[in-house]
Amino acid sequence: MSGQDLEQRYRRVLRLLPRYYRDKWEEDMVAAFLDSWLTGDPDEDSVTMEYDRPTRQEVVSVAALAARLYLGGAGAPRRYVAWGQAIRGTVLALLLTHAIWGLGQLLLVARSHRLIGWLPPVPAVGGTWLTVWYVAGYCWIAAFLALVLGQYRVARVAAALAVAAALAIVLQGQLTGELVSPFASWSYLVLMDLIPAVAMAAFHRDAPPVPRRPWLLALPAGYLLVNVPWLTLKLTGNAAWLPDTFGLCCLLVALACLAHVPRAWSSRAGAGTWSLTLTLLAAVVGLERLTSLSFYPDNPHLARVGLAELLIMAAAAVLVAPDAARAQAAVPAPQSRPRLG
Amino acid sequence: MTGQAFFVLTALADGPRHGYGIVGEVAELSQGRVKLKIGSLYGVLDRLATDGLIEPDREEAHDGRLRRYYRLTVDGRRALAEEAGLRAATARVVRARLGLTGPESAGAAG
Repeated sequence: MSGQDLEQRYRRVLRLLPRYYRDKWEEDMVAAFLDSWLTGDPDEDSVTMEYDRPTRQEVVSVAALAARLYLGGAGAPRRYVAWGQAIRGTVLALLLTHAIWGLGQLLLVARSHRLIGWLPPVPAVGGTWLTVWYVAGYCWIAAFLALVLGQYRVARVAAALAVAAALAIVLQGQLTGELVSPFASWSYLVLMDLIPAVAMAAFHRDAPPVPRRPWLLALPAGYLLVNVPWLTLKLTGNAAWLPDTFGLCCLLVALACLAHVPRAWSSRAGAGTWSLTLTLLAAVVGLERLTSLSFYPDNPHLARVGLAELLIMAAAAVLVAPDAARAQAAVPAPQSRPRLG
Repeated sequence: MTGQAFFVLTALADGPRHGYGIVGEVAELSQGRVKLKIGSLYGVLDRLATDGLIEPDREEAHDGRLRRYYRLTVDGRRALAEEAGLRAATARVVRARLGLTGPESAGAAG
């Protein structure tokens, strides 16, 4: 026996909800919950109170409500709204990087099948796991586009498929001992695949729609931004200057932070949310850069380059971090319970 | 308007109800198809209260607990009427396209 009754057990579940929301609704929720369990028969109710506990569906409904409120649901304080928007922005940016990579794979396959006549063909490569790898990329493209177009369920399914494909690849590598750095591969799976897929919960029904035009344009623009310099450096024999994927992400986030500094320092309306988004993005990318350094255990030069990329991004993120802190620190006074009319 | 919000507003259309009363009424209105959990119900009630479509009516003591009753506001009544009109119009179009006879499809034809 836990020493608690049904009411206390339900109140423990309600602790998942933000404080401001509990202040407003907890007593009502407890009353309605107990109404749904108690029959009015003292003996039966006594047994119910002592031995029963909230059902799994009931706990899930409270957890789902809590997730929506913490991610800026209707009537949430400014702090949660800012976090909700920052998480949505970060998820979109991470999905965009996946989609750019997927687009690169798609064009490579198209070139290998001579579907793009004006580009020189590349030799076709095959294999089951490479195909799975490509499929993951295509799923990320679908997830990104569906998210931008407001098809949240489709986006979640596509992201789940992409994560499943990535998990299968990492597992296969782990079992066959082919992973260069198991730690870095699993970290990538968690940080760049799993966390963004889970964080897609921030795209709930109270979330404002994603501005379509800039995010849709970001896909081809991002592809060109990444691939044109890459191709140029490679063709001119300067491939040694190419950063790896994680280094490139660090440099792009650093550029985005620097471009945002004038807005962040002018305290323009809406700038704080972007500052919070960039800080969050820098944290995720920074962690990924750090864990991916284990790809270079025998190459101290590349490890030092990776650290330098990390420091450049951190320095740029520090410039917008104070504005990010201001955006999420302002918490208005919690609302009291609704007054009787 | 979501289906759950529509049912909750409809449950309050003929008078104030408390939380569990709304759950029971919604289940009856939907012929058992919509079974609101308490977490879901209060997510909907909070949104409707924030939008000014419902408001608290009164509190009554029941077995040592306070039951809070909610009622539709004027805006809530208007929003529900508009939504019901939209849904009825959609239903008429669907019935007409399916070639179903009856008062609804006759209304659509007229």
